[in-house]
Amino acid sequence: MDKNFQEEQFTGIIKFTPPLYEQRYQFIKDLVGKYKPKKVADLGCADCTLLWMLKFCSCIEVLAGLDICASVMKEKMHRLSPLPVDYLQPAERSLTVTLHHGSVAHKDPCMLGFDLVTCIELIEHLEESELKKFPEVVFGFMAPSVVVISTPNSEFNPLLPGVTLFRHPDHKFEWNRAQFQSWALETARCYGYSVEFTGVGHPPTGMENVGFCTQIGVFVRKYAQTSESAQSEKPTEAVYKTVFKAVYPSLKDEKYLQNAVVSEVIFRAQIIKRSLLDRLMSEHEEYNDDPAEGKFKFQPSKNCSSEDLGKLIVEKSMGPFVDGNMVYIPLTTIFSFPKVNRLCGTFEKLCKLIAGKVTLSSDGSAVMLNTEHENEEN
Amino acid sequence: QQTLPSQPLGRRQPQHLRVPPSVSEEPGGRGRQRSPQSVPPGQDGRRPEGLQISAGFQELSLADRGGRRRDFHDLGVNTRQAIEHVQESKTGSSGITIKLTANYFRLTSRPQWALYQYHVDYSPEMEARRLRSALLFQHEELIGKTHAFDGSILFLPKKLGNKVSEVFSRTRNGENVKITITLTNELPPTSPTCLQFYNIIFRRLLKILNLQQIGRNYYNPSDPISIPNHRLMVWPGFTSSILQYEESIMLCTDVSHKVLRSETVLDFMYSLYYQVEEQRFRDTCAKELIGLIVLTKYNNRTYRVDDIDWDANPQCTFRKADGSEISYVDYYKRQYNQEITDLNQPVLISQSRRKRGSMMPGPVVLIPELCFLTGLTEKMRNDFNMMKDLAVHTRVPPEQRQREIGRLIDYIRKDDNVQKELRDWGLSFDSNLLSFTGRVVQGEKIFQAGNVFDYNPQFADWSKETRGAPLICAKPLDNWLLIYTRRNYDIANTLVQNLFKVTPSMGIRMNKATMIEVDDRTEAYLRVLQQSVTPETNIVFCVLSSSRKDKYDAIKKYLCTDCPIPSQCVMARTLSKPQTAMAIATKIALQMNCKMGGELWSVEIPLKQVMVVGIDCYHDTLSGKQSIAGFVASLNQTMTRWFSRCAVQGRGQELVDGLKACLQTAQRDWFKWNKYLPSRIIVYRDGVGDGQLNTLVNYEVPQFLDCLKSVGKDYNPRLSVIVVKKRVNTRFFAQSGGALKNPPPGTVVDVEVTRPEWYDFFIVSQAVRSGCVSPTHYNVIYDTSKLKPDHLQRLTYKLCHMYYNWSGVIRVPAPCQYAHKLAFLVGQSIHREPNLLLSDRLYYL
Repeated sequence: MDKNFQEEQFTGIIKFTPPLYEQRYQFIKDLVGKYKPKKVADLGCADCTLLWMLKFCSCIEVLAGLDICASVMKEKMHRLSPLPVDYLQPAERSLTVTLHHGSVAHKDPCMLGFDLVTCIELIEHLEESELKKFPEVVFGFMAPSVVVISTPNSEFNPLLPGVTLFRHPDHKFEWNRAQFQSWALETARCYGYSVEFTGVGHPPTGMENVGFCTQIGVFVRKYAQTSESAQSEKPTEAVYKTVFKAVYPSLKDEKYLQNAVVSEVIFRAQIIKRSLLDRLMSEHEEYNDDPAEGKFKFQPSKNCSSEDLGKLIVEKSMGPFVDGNMVYIPLTTIFSFPKVNRLCGTFEKLCKLIAGKVTLSSDGSAVMLNTEHENEEN
Repeated sequence: QQTLPSQPLGRRQPQHLRVPPSVSEEPGGRGRQRSPQSVPPGQDGRRPEGLQISAGFQELSLADRGGRRRDFHDLGVNTRQAIEHVQESKTGSSGITIKLTANYFRLTSRPQWALYQYHVDYSPEMEARRLRSALLFQHEELIGKTHAFDGSILFLPKKLGNKVSEVFSRTRNGENVKITITLTNELPPTSPTCLQFYNIIFRRLLKILNLQQIGRNYYNPSDPISIPNHRLMVWPGFTSSILQYEESIMLCTDVSHKVLRSETVLDFMYSLYYQVEEQRFRDTCAKELIGLIVLTKYNNRTYRVDDIDWDANPQCTFRKADGSEISYVDYYKRQYNQEITDLNQPVLISQSRRKRGSMMPGPVVLIPELCFLTGLTEKMRNDFNMMKDLAVHTRVPPEQRQREIGRLIDYIRKDDNVQKELRDWGLSFDSNLLSFTGRVVQGEKIFQAGNVFDYNPQFADWSKETRGAPLICAKPLDNWLLIYTRRNYDIANTLVQNLFKVTPSMGIRMNKATMIEVDDRTEAYLRVLQQSVTPETNIVFCVLSSSRKDKYDAIKKYLCTDCPIPSQCVMARTLSKPQTAMAIATKIALQMNCKMGGELWSVEIPLKQVMVVGIDCYHDTLSGKQSIAGFVASLNQTMTRWFSRCAVQGRGQELVDGLKACLQTAQRDWFKWNKYLPSRIIVYRDGVGDGQLNTLVNYEVPQFLDCLKSVGKDYNPRLSVIVVKKRVNTRFFAQSGGALKNPPPGTVVDVEVTRPEWYDFFIVSQAVRSGCVSPTHYNVIYDTSKLKPDHLQRLTYKLCHMYYNWSGVIRVPAPCQYAHKLAFLVGQSIHREPNLLLSDRLYYL
């Protein structure tokens, strides 16, 4: 990832390209690409922009946001809802997005079991008492595999015009690298994490000694936790208030899977039927120029009952054929379409999913469609 | 060739500078992001970012409206005030009364309710909106819990003690800020701002109910109806709008269905590719796709497809806002984790109509693979089976409709958050549908060559009653051609025999047709027409073997322009069913008679010397994006003969120029027929979109007046212009016994649900077999006729009886339907003005 920055030395105005907040989010997205976490929580999620970006990452199945300010979260929370298209074409993965209203100084069991917890530009907003409880809540209680913490690097501040004390009026402190690193190392040591330091927002040439504009610590838990023991020790009551929850439609949900399979089966069957009828029609016209167009019937080659035909399909794995007013399309033919195959996995699953939803031949081996009612009127 | 509008940047490097749809909410940081030293809002010409409604209503914006967005409700077009004779009353009187309910709910407010608008100033100037809010709301004891604030404009449900209040707040940095709150406006409940405000609250509410917004309406995605045969999905949902109606402010809400398609544009292109020949593929794609609305995979926006760029592909690059260049593939991968697999697909172009922030409205590029289709294509609409399958789900009968509408209002009443918000603002909704009294006007008698027919007004159809009766004016089939392919010889022959059976009783004299066999190729048809059509030919009949449009188009084009002779094209399949053969032959005989200038029936028209005009438009999205206006004017007292002409209008041209020419010719022809000029002209104007009323009032009507003035000094006819709207969300239910039914044909409503600033009324003229009947809205925007509202309503209803292609009452006055037919034929098949020699016949039926 290229961290371009533009520096106009003559004016002394530093402008990051892409903007710094984007660089921070991109950093998280890259991290998600690397660790492929299934469950991600963003603490201090504010207007949910990071969560919104993360919902597109296909490895994530659970996304949670936490913020002390409910109204900021509510402002744009509806963009975390599924899109119409998510219903039209349900994804393979399942995804649940939840927003909680609460403080990082409090423990709530809904935050257990996460793989990645991000705290972007969060800690500098915490009062001293909250900051004190923060390591125990995040590292001790939530104890995810990876924690990312970013915070301003105060050494960079002299390069930012107009910054006198802090970058934002709500900041309670801004640390230099030494301060952040000693706090981080101590926290990591205490809770069994290793930590690496990096950052985004390169300093201008010649000023490299001030370090990144935003400093970042990536904490990785040293020992895999036996999740059961971890959770049984932590009987806590729920203290957060859920302000939003969205469950995305997914093929893991039988209802959506069945819908998808039935639609695909009927659609495929219709295509086969049409091409079969077209072929028969053109053959018919070639060999037998019968003017009574709409009247001819497709006769099966053998004069036998449909049960017999059903057997024939299985025994000789016949292709689709026409009998009287009905077109028979063997399920095996339909199962051979990659999309049907991928959706169902096994032939048995296919049969199970379409049972009762698609009209089948009497022995259940073929989809039955009527040749009639093609363009009755115009 | 570039058809894109000339965006300043786009002209230089069109391939690189189009933008993909922008992220709906550009990541704005977490409120901790420093923005470059910016000018305070309001001083740099930037609009405030939008009014925020308190308590979670934030993302909805009031300031968004006005000027930028189209006003779909045509607010502020006050046409009634200029129409003298309806100042006192615009209601009719005839007919018997009927108890009706409508899909409207009254919005009630406390007595003396008003919305108080304040301007808020900061000293020193504070730039961040959030900070401005935070500082202001430190004074909740003063302004109260209920408020709406966009950073500079504050709305309150109560009046503050003083006109100007000054308060002081402290920032976290310890800075003191003086805030001045000045009363600027006291808005009555009926003010446009208040109406917008109600609508915002209501839309927010639908969102809380977990409905998905698509376009202007809200839909419920959790229980879709799937129609796999056609790869369709139907989402049930609601339309809603809150407006000032005749007596009160009301919510109008109706059940709506969104047709979505479970395939991407790319899937669709592929399946089309296998269906059509290579050289026709691009044209077909354009034809099917342009004008359709697509949904994207990554945001909640809909776009209209305006063009397909076959020279571009997803690997093309564009310049981002920050100046860096990126390909579409990379952009979508990075931004939305969307993998584009087909790198050779073309791209779709959508002309953004709305200005977004600082971005210039310009073309937006969409990737077919990432877009889903919504709605129906032209082809699908013509697919009888598909429409039948759809109708099962979308046609909701009155009882069920009322239940579903009621459910929405129930949700509203049960949701605590919503109730609290409404209470705080002093608003509430009625729990019952609006009920009032309408009128059912008397049914019309059908006159046909000395016979008078009554029919059952419930069915609004007299095909049985008049079957086989002599026509008012029957044109002979002395000399006519019947063209068919070899395979259809029998069908053609049978048709002739059947016509011989049905025509005598109607009074149509008929000779045997000149039968001509052709190869089933377009050129073969055209050659036969060139060789065999003579000036003596009454009509040309073609039996077509397939619904291939090109053959039909070629025949119609030749016979409507180069060689003006009426023609009748029928699909062989339509004629092939023995059980319906006679009914079809009857219908064809009637239709051919009209095309040759015959007359079928009439109703009593007491008004004399009146010329009735119908206008409708067809917007051709494909060939050159031209629009066609069909113009039809009555020629005789009984309204059985019609003059027609059409105006073909290129892009950027005003339709009205063409209409002027049409009106002039119509007057000339009227004079030829009647030896005097009409003393009244009544124009029924269809094809007016939401929000276009203003244009009509300010441009089209004056042009009509100009046109009439130019006829002569002493000529001063009375003019009425009536806008006809078929697509309305209004639904009426009639209480009959314990059940709800459709109101009977002839129901007129001119109270309660009409608008006070208009001279408007509704008529239910047609009968439907399933679902809910849709009333037609008539808005008289100009009227010097001095006709009583009752007479105008009656005349309008009478005209709905006069459409000769249907032995029954239709939804709109016949001239509108004729104009529609004409515009459609020209727009779809002929693409230029038909020969005026045909102008006194209904050749376009």
